[in-house]
Amino acid sequence: MRNARRARLILTLLLLSAFTLITLDYRSGALGGVRKVASTVFGPIQDGIDKVVHPIGSWFSSLGHLGSYKHENQDLHRRVAELQTQLRMTEVERQEYLQTQKLLHLAGLAQFTTVAARVTAYGGAFGFESTISINRGTKNGIRKNETVISGAGLVGRVVGPVGPTTATVQLANDSAFTAGCRMSTARLAVGAVSGNGRGKPMGLTLLDNTVRLEVGQMLVTFPSGPGGPFVPEVPIGKVTRVTPANGQIAQTAAVAPFVDFGSLDIVAVVTDAPESIKHDSLLPSSPTPAPTVTVTVTASPGSTSGGGTPSSTPTTSATSSATSTSRKTP
Amino acid sequence: MIAQRIALRLAVVITVVLAQTTVINRMHLPLGGPDLLLVVVVAFALVGGSQRGAVFGFFAGLTADVMPPTYHFAGELAFAYTVVGYLAGMLDAGEESSIATTISVVAGGSVAVVLLFAALGDLLGNANISGGATLHALAGTVVYDVVLAPFVVPLVSAAARRLEPVGPR
Repeated sequence: MRNARRARLILTLLLLSAFTLITLDYRSGALGGVRKVASTVFGPIQDGIDKVVHPIGSWFSSLGHLGSYKHENQDLHRRVAELQTQLRMTEVERQEYLQTQKLLHLAGLAQFTTVAARVTAYGGAFGFESTISINRGTKNGIRKNETVISGAGLVGRVVGPVGPTTATVQLANDSAFTAGCRMSTARLAVGAVSGNGRGKPMGLTLLDNTVRLEVGQMLVTFPSGPGGPFVPEVPIGKVTRVTPANGQIAQTAAVAPFVDFGSLDIVAVVTDAPESIKHDSLLPSSPTPAPTVTVTVTASPGSTSGGGTPSSTPTTSATSSATSTSRKTP
Repeated sequence: MIAQRIALRLAVVITVVLAQTTVINRMHLPLGGPDLLLVVVVAFALVGGSQRGAVFGFFAGLTADVMPPTYHFAGELAFAYTVVGYLAGMLDAGEESSIATTISVVAGGSVAVVLLFAALGDLLGNANISGGATLHALAGTVVYDVVLAPFVVPLVSAAARRLEPVGPR
């Protein structure tokens, strides 16, 4: 009986402590320091584990592909399997190389200043949160709220206290994620796009109802003013389904993101962006051909080659604060 | 001796939470994935009793609260795991629990921990919490935890029994 009473007392004390911690963190973000220490300590460990686990993980996933060689004879079959296993190890590097190349292409087009990082850990909280850790932090110039991109488009934004060599990124499919966006086709139709959880399409709310939403239209980020979390023109996704308006003021639609959040390896944090970027220049297969950085030298004598600078008509950077990022304090 | 025991438990908790963030969550399993920490907390509580279960749950939850990458408020998971550790510990009868008991306690614990976290998050205005998301989280967590339970619980219980004096103090 005494034991039971003591256990109840301890339970009460622990629950009170938990409540105190929550209150402190809620009211003043007082536990930011603790989180910073935690990311300083655990960040490098996660990075280390990732280096070991990553190749093993993709080796296992490669086992599923071996079935296609059944028609070949037994020896050859085994040989292929062996070689495939060896190849898988380099496949990891190849995949990362491809992702990096796409990333550099996008960042180069936009003339973003970026810090490339590797994804080291995934958040969860029973699947409620959609977050990743990356292996770059304040030492590399990363600050809170900066935009994170991959070669395909918008990945998310930096949240929470940034550690010296780690940062936490809230992915765009997190339910608490919201970003300002602009339709690629219409001249200035702005809205807000928000995450709906893993594996679900994102939701678009378009504030302008003179523009008609159509399936296949693309979205890019629309900056939320100076100091805001997003840089302009980063591709977000494509409209897949338009919800009938039913006399409502705002139009809504489902959006398939360009980024596959389940297979992120290399991402980049945008630490600086040019004042203005040509509209829709970063979209995949956009109607207006995207300017490339390749320099083509024509053989005609006497004429100098055009050079790599895209002839962009500078558009005034938007100052309207049409976005609201639902953010939490820590 | 006490310092050693604390260090050991802390090492177990940190290892489990690191494995969760770097390995389990990376797999992107359909419906979510197991919550390894819950299974370990239940296994420990079943051997150690409600008092130790609550203390272990508190520190396990706190570690998960501050382990990057999270951005909910620190203390939310600590609260949820404390309750689950306490309740699971109350079922500690001193003898080896049957596999059926273990599985049902893990299933109940998974439901409780998800609901507690969701309820707290909702109170604190966490935009991630919704009815649909909670059902989704419940389904994924319970199914995978039940699958893990027969393998993880005996392992943790055996280790806890070997390394620590049995029974409530």
